[in-house]
Amino acid sequence: MTALLQLKDLNVSYATGGTDVHAVRGVDLTLDPGGTLGIAGESGSGKSTVAMSVLRLLPRAATVSGEILLDGQDVTAMKWGRLRAVRWAEASIVFQGAMHALNPVRRVGEQIAEPIRLHPSDGRILTEAGVKARVADLLTQVDLPPSRAGAYPHELSGGQKQRVMIAMALACSPRLIIADEPTTALDVIVQAQVLDLLSRLVAEQKIGLIMISHDLSVLAATCERIAVMYDGEIVEQRPSAELMASPEHEHSRALAAAFPTVGDPVSRFAPATSNPLPPEPADRAPAGEPLLAAENLRVSFRDRTGKRIHAVAGVDLTVARDEIVALVGQSGSGKTTLARTLLGLQKPDSGVVRYDGKPVPARGAGLKAYRRQVQLVLQDPTSALNPVHTVYEAVAEGPRIHGLADERAVVTRALEAAELRPAEKFLDRLPHQLSGGQRQRVVIAGALALEPSMLVADEPVASLDASVRGEILALLLRLRRSLGLAALVITHDLGLAWNIADRVAVMYRGELVETGTVEQVLLDPQHEYTKSLLAALPGGTYRDDVKST
Amino acid sequence: MTTAETPRQIAWKRRRDGLARSWQGFAGQKPALIGLILLGATVVLALLLPLISDESGLDVTKATGGPLRPPSADYWLGTDNYGRSVLLMTMWGSRISLLVGFSAALLSVVIGTLIGITAAHFGGWVSATLLRFTDFFLVLPSLILAIALSAVLPKGVGTIILAIGLTAWPSTARLVRAQTLTIESRPYIERAHALGGGHLHVIGKHVLPGVMPLVLANTTLVVGNAVIADATLSFLGVGDPNSVTWGLVLENALNNGAISAGAWWNVLPPGIAIVLVVLMFTLVGRGLETVFNPRLKK
Repeated sequence: MTALLQLKDLNVSYATGGTDVHAVRGVDLTLDPGGTLGIAGESGSGKSTVAMSVLRLLPRAATVSGEILLDGQDVTAMKWGRLRAVRWAEASIVFQGAMHALNPVRRVGEQIAEPIRLHPSDGRILTEAGVKARVADLLTQVDLPPSRAGAYPHELSGGQKQRVMIAMALACSPRLIIADEPTTALDVIVQAQVLDLLSRLVAEQKIGLIMISHDLSVLAATCERIAVMYDGEIVEQRPSAELMASPEHEHSRALAAAFPTVGDPVSRFAPATSNPLPPEPADRAPAGEPLLAAENLRVSFRDRTGKRIHAVAGVDLTVARDEIVALVGQSGSGKTTLARTLLGLQKPDSGVVRYDGKPVPARGAGLKAYRRQVQLVLQDPTSALNPVHTVYEAVAEGPRIHGLADERAVVTRALEAAELRPAEKFLDRLPHQLSGGQRQRVVIAGALALEPSMLVADEPVASLDASVRGEILALLLRLRRSLGLAALVITHDLGLAWNIADRVAVMYRGELVETGTVEQVLLDPQHEYTKSLLAALPGGTYRDDVKST
Repeated sequence: MTTAETPRQIAWKRRRDGLARSWQGFAGQKPALIGLILLGATVVLALLLPLISDESGLDVTKATGGPLRPPSADYWLGTDNYGRSVLLMTMWGSRISLLVGFSAALLSVVIGTLIGITAAHFGGWVSATLLRFTDFFLVLPSLILAIALSAVLPKGVGTIILAIGLTAWPSTARLVRAQTLTIESRPYIERAHALGGGHLHVIGKHVLPGVMPLVLANTTLVVGNAVIADATLSFLGVGDPNSVTWGLVLENALNNGAISAGAWWNVLPPGIAIVLVVLMFTLVGRGLETVFNPRLKK
């Protein structure tokens, strides 16, 4: 039996400026018909380049060598017409970012029909009614009502758009589907549904699947085998369960550790980091007086039709000194609005925010003074730093606003506290000369420069690579242990909460449905929503692991 | 103060590097470079005129040539109906045209930037009011407004500058507003707010440096337009009759029968001068735009 897809010694390099960048180096992969293969790796590891090379979708600047055998035929040697026939009819792609991969001004039914019209099966052109029937059939397969064919992309949720993308990939009954980060921008629950759907369709229709992700647990949930890529090479390739249980290569271990299993005592208060954490101070007092408290906070917006949307609907939340609270919820649950309101960046409709027992002033010097105490760390460090300001200027911004004396010493101290050592080395760098993790440290240093008593971090690691994720989380935990710095960490990632938080608050549709210590909430969830969040984790929880092995 | 100086040195070094990079991007474009060199030469020539030529040649009573003489060895570009050298008048015309062009452009860009940033930064009713105000000026025929202004105000170069400056700013305001809105939607503005920064901090530290490059590129384009507006106003006779401008030379040619007499040397030199100066500014402006607006880069 010939393999469905076979890559032999694949090399891809990009010509950029004067030098060639080797994105993929000597990759050998084999996928049998109906098989499933996951490719894991961080951004820049070359995993997407491998996927795109299969259908020759790489930019012109790319040079490909080696063989890409699709059903025994070499893709690199195909004539244009043959390649056109192979694309979509034999192999199709589910692109990453369903939000942007659909044409916003065409109905989704039309977009699904496009490949059907371009690639008439068996050479006969389908009638208009035939195309419609096929589109309806495809929508049913991905669990969408056929009536949704008339919808425009903006009328669909993220998960529905991703289903449409999958329907498009299935349109010409291909024998191979390549899914490039199919669930990255989706919530946990929606992610679980999409993964389920993909696995079911692949199994039913005997389609080969190559799935690309940076999250090992996602791959393990869908694929038989996983290949880990690092710096353009495959460093480990083994059956999923085996690889998850005992990753051999250090990079696989880093990837596996970056996404901890909720409930696993090994990863509790132990984010993946190369530096040891300081021990818990022995005299740590139990959570005392709340430092920051929200009382019956309500925020609403008007949408375009003038209807009121209650983003935050009556929230009571407290964060004490020397405590990390994780605010968990899916996108649209109002967690970011809550954070902005706590920081005084958004006016509440009703309710109060108290800092140290006193209501936070809405304007003037009082608000400015409050902002020295509670600092914000944003999700995407790349856009949170002004691209033309040096590290020094970015960190000195806060001290300058508040007129702190001895600016240089303050900045150096803050950079050292954020573990950018030696600080002098970074002072005159611009953001684009730093890695993603270093940028996030600069943002944290900018907050620390004001010596705040609390940080509000909005998805602080969501846009960072797996190996950096653990380091930034460890930094937050270290700051709590050494400086007593409180933090409210907003996240959709339950593993993060398990890694560093003391308490968890679960937010759903603008309300806190469950609050309590991490162990209480994550190991013994009371509310239905919390239960469904935990059930949707691709890696399962720790106890499930024990049962299944 | 030695500790405080180092970061300042860092900042200056970075600015110098940035300038050097921008210059390289600019110098890499041949048309822009040629425009800049020619423009520089024109400005130097205009400044040196009192040293290298005799201003009295512009005086009607002291004119030495015969009326409407075609180009000859004595008068390279011929004479006008008073017997003055057209070459001399065209060269002296550059002084007023450039002065008016630069000053009016500066005035309009300052007004436009101020209104654009204020409208975008504060939003709400401030923005609504300012934008309606801008729209009012945008739809008003600017030439007629300028004529009305210079008819009401005392005649002189200052009036022309004011008239052009007050009518040319709305497009700059729109451009600056759009650019400010994109900058203000970036998360680092939210970070600046969270750090406790007020309006002045956000505008001065983030918005203004962000819009300056575009404003600069826009200014050079506005200068070209101002030169044309100046020539138009002078040609229509609302300018200062005592100073020699290109528009005035053209008006003379029309009123004194030079055109009907077929004296093309009275019309072409100032006309071509206007075209060339505007072209130089446009070349430089497009070049700057390409350097500062990353979306125009290939």
